[in-house]
Amino acid sequence: MTALEVRDLVKDYRIRSGLRSSTLRAVDHVSFTLTPGRTVALVGESGSGKSTVAKMIARLEKPTGGQIIATKPDGRPVGNREYRDHVQMVFQDPFASLNPFHTIEHHIARPLRLHGVTRGGAETRKRVEQLLERVNLTPAGTIAPRRPHELSGGQRQRVAIARALAPGAKVVVADEPVSMLDVSIRLGVLNLLARLQREDNLAVLYITHDLATARHFSDEILVMYRGHVVERGPADDVILTPQHSYTKLLAAAAPNPEERGRSLADSPGAIAPEDLTRTFDHHTKSWQTFEKARPIAAAVANPAGGDTR
Amino acid sequence: MTNLSPLTESADDGAAMPEEAAQATAGGRRGASGLRALLPSWSPRLGIGLVIVLGIALFGIFGPMFVTDPNAIDNMGMTKPSGDHWLGTTQTGQDVFAQLAHGTRGSLQIGLLVGILATLLSAFFGIIGGYLGGYVDEGFSLFSNVMLVIPGLPLVIVIAGFVPVEDRGWWTIAIVLAVTGWAASARVLRAQTLSLRNRDYVAAARVAGERPWRIVSVEILPNLLPLLASQFVFAIIAAILSEAGLSFLGLGASGSHTLGTMLYYAQNGWALQNEAWWWFVPPGLVIALFGCGLSLINFSIDEIINPKLRMPKTQKADKAPVAPPAPVELKEGAADVPPATDTASVTRRDAVLTVRGLNVVYQTDNPVHAVKDVTISLGRGEILGLAGESGCGKTTLAYAINRLHRPPAEVSSGTVTFHDKSGQDIDLLALDREDLRRFRWAKLSMVFQGAMNSLNPVISIREQLEDVLTTHKPEMNSAQRKARCEEVLRLVGVDPKRLDSFPHELSGGMRQRVMIAMAMLLDPQVMIMDEPTTALDVVVQRGILREIIRLRDELGFAVIFITHDLPLLLELSDRIAVMRAGEIIEYAPAGEIYERPQHPYTRQLLDSFPSLTGERGAFVRTGESSARSRGEQNEPNAQVDEGAPR
Repeated sequence: MTALEVRDLVKDYRIRSGLRSSTLRAVDHVSFTLTPGRTVALVGESGSGKSTVAKMIARLEKPTGGQIIATKPDGRPVGNREYRDHVQMVFQDPFASLNPFHTIEHHIARPLRLHGVTRGGAETRKRVEQLLERVNLTPAGTIAPRRPHELSGGQRQRVAIARALAPGAKVVVADEPVSMLDVSIRLGVLNLLARLQREDNLAVLYITHDLATARHFSDEILVMYRGHVVERGPADDVILTPQHSYTKLLAAAAPNPEERGRSLADSPGAIAPEDLTRTFDHHTKSWQTFEKARPIAAAVANPAGGDTR
Repeated sequence: MTNLSPLTESADDGAAMPEEAAQATAGGRRGASGLRALLPSWSPRLGIGLVIVLGIALFGIFGPMFVTDPNAIDNMGMTKPSGDHWLGTTQTGQDVFAQLAHGTRGSLQIGLLVGILATLLSAFFGIIGGYLGGYVDEGFSLFSNVMLVIPGLPLVIVIAGFVPVEDRGWWTIAIVLAVTGWAASARVLRAQTLSLRNRDYVAAARVAGERPWRIVSVEILPNLLPLLASQFVFAIIAAILSEAGLSFLGLGASGSHTLGTMLYYAQNGWALQNEAWWWFVPPGLVIALFGCGLSLINFSIDEIINPKLRMPKTQKADKAPVAPPAPVELKEGAADVPPATDTASVTRRDAVLTVRGLNVVYQTDNPVHAVKDVTISLGRGEILGLAGESGCGKTTLAYAINRLHRPPAEVSSGTVTFHDKSGQDIDLLALDREDLRRFRWAKLSMVFQGAMNSLNPVISIREQLEDVLTTHKPEMNSAQRKARCEEVLRLVGVDPKRLDSFPHELSGGMRQRVMIAMAMLLDPQVMIMDEPTTALDVVVQRGILREIIRLRDELGFAVIFITHDLPLLLELSDRIAVMRAGEIIEYAPAGEIYERPQHPYTRQLLDSFPSLTGERGAFVRTGESSARSRGEQNEPNAQVDEGAPR
């Protein structure tokens, strides 16, 4: 059973420089499915197109091509009007995603009212407090009347999660939900997300550049590079036995104290030319050549950022 | 805002901190504080402005009730101020004080009406256009631009001149002034709306399914209020001045009293030539004072829009309440900072930098002790990692070592000694300005977080690098300078051909390499790097770290590497100092920190990074049970545990 299916998603941006305009393909034929109770991680570096995929799923951007099909738990398709009840998003920066002018209660009560989850002030207030308690913001009665600047980053991100749950969403897109938070509270927020996922049987798309948390908090990993999915498969398979040379590069670059002293001496490596036109699927254990997508433009010879020597 | 409050941050996982909870139970007044943030903070400037403006406004409102008819003609002619006529009389024997009261009222009326109309017009065209974007925005923006380039005063003169005198009431003038005066603030509002429109909270409202009009009125408009208020005040000033100008030219409202018409009649009555100062000075003074008062208020409003204008004192004062005083607790012996003598056992290298008992305090109303008794020593050629979370004082420490800290930060005690290669010891905190300038960069250089964005975009890489050399080594000739610049670029793995590039032609990683090259230009003995790779992708970061290690091995400089990324430090550095709430709570070789962390906080930090390739262990998603009782469950003592440094 699927909660959301993404099929051959394409996004082109027009870049105007002076009178000339060209297109940049930010996302090139990306397909995957989200299932209730499971997390798919979309891993990649800045500019890989992972956030663009998130924005298209949240309907903040219009896809250039491809389809996004949401399905209700009973198997019926989700209509346009109900889409926002079904799919919600948690943003990266909790300092920017809450309106400084409004109270915490406003942020959670609005979606409740808007989606007709609750009627009347008292019922809404009760539901807001329940939601705050679910994300461990207690005592909810004293948190609700506060404003965002009175909360810490982690607390704000919990509010943002509560807001995403308010309309009863079944699909949650979490765009780098912890990268702006202090390291010691990141796992707490991720664990919270994992618990809510279990309780509500949510389908989660976890977007991150951090391979380690992707491995531990997701079932399936998709590695994106320059708009393409270059490798996909069960989390452990992708991280422990990477096949695509870009994934290998990423895995080797992540700090890993267990291999202290090794990787700094190694050469950062480069992307194999044959890998620019293919993707590896761990489920079928096979390479697939891009059919519809364009080959990856290898503009940077050395991804480590220096000139080759 | 929570920059200096590591304790609040770490308390996050659980419920509110005890003192916060206590505050919150004190009542619902918290709800008003968001609005309070929109109000200007109290300052003498605001006080004086308000007194002037309110005084004049009261005079304009109530003055006319107590004075005689301003139009009553008396054949006494022009007289000086006296008991009967406080401000004397005009040529035709009219009472100047009475005229002043009525004139002030007239001017205020016009100012207020223009202020309201112009603000409404600019809000409509600026905010709606800015939010909707596309053709609507292009059309609105074109219209505002056309209105902006039409020269205001001549247009006003023409329009006012065309309206027959008998129809020219005060409100006609007000409408003419409003129509010609809204365009500039519409542009300001549009720019601000464009920036607010892209904020995540607006995106979040869209994802929640809010309608556009509600997003504009509920999510965007409140955040524009300070700006609107400032534009409103500005429109009033402009209107009163323009009206005075128009009336002075004889194009003002007919049959009504304003300060401008007073000046007009004073001019016509040869007041200046007759030295009748009581006739023209009072209206001029009222205009000047009112404009001045409104400007003072506007300054205070500007401070809300742009917090940088605030005095550092008030800015810090905001932070102070969130930093609870650190309770004194018994330290675990192992967590104690090893004294400097201990360093010999750790490394045989001799020290290049010794920091002893350094304390840095932000001297505000509620002083914040940002660095507490820090003692570290940096060996020659050593890479020392400084780990800690935001607000733990690690950047303050780095700045204080290089004396880059600015007031209100002050080094309250301690020493920073630099042991030069030549054998000379330099007390950094005692250097005078000139010596310090020579010392910095030549012996100790810094690479900041986001340094890659601090390159000047309009100057080539070559000029920026050579500039450092001409300042510090004037004896070098241009060929030597060029050779040195090429050499350092080659060192950091950048092709010397790029010397003539401009910063925007280089990628982020490349720019960061250029910044490191710049820091190495003068062959320093110590480099302090504050989160130099945080903004970069991991693959690029790895490339730069490799470069730093290789250069260290080749050139033998020492590095203080500051970051929150403990796994990175474990790989990179020789020794690691873990900082929390201004204190170094653990200081040991990297291997020891990794294998035998002594302080619970170090363990907590280590546990915050799940292993990439290791066993899944505790990090299998078991929900919150794996959060290691860090206040996830709402246990009463978990809160206390979180709030107190261990």
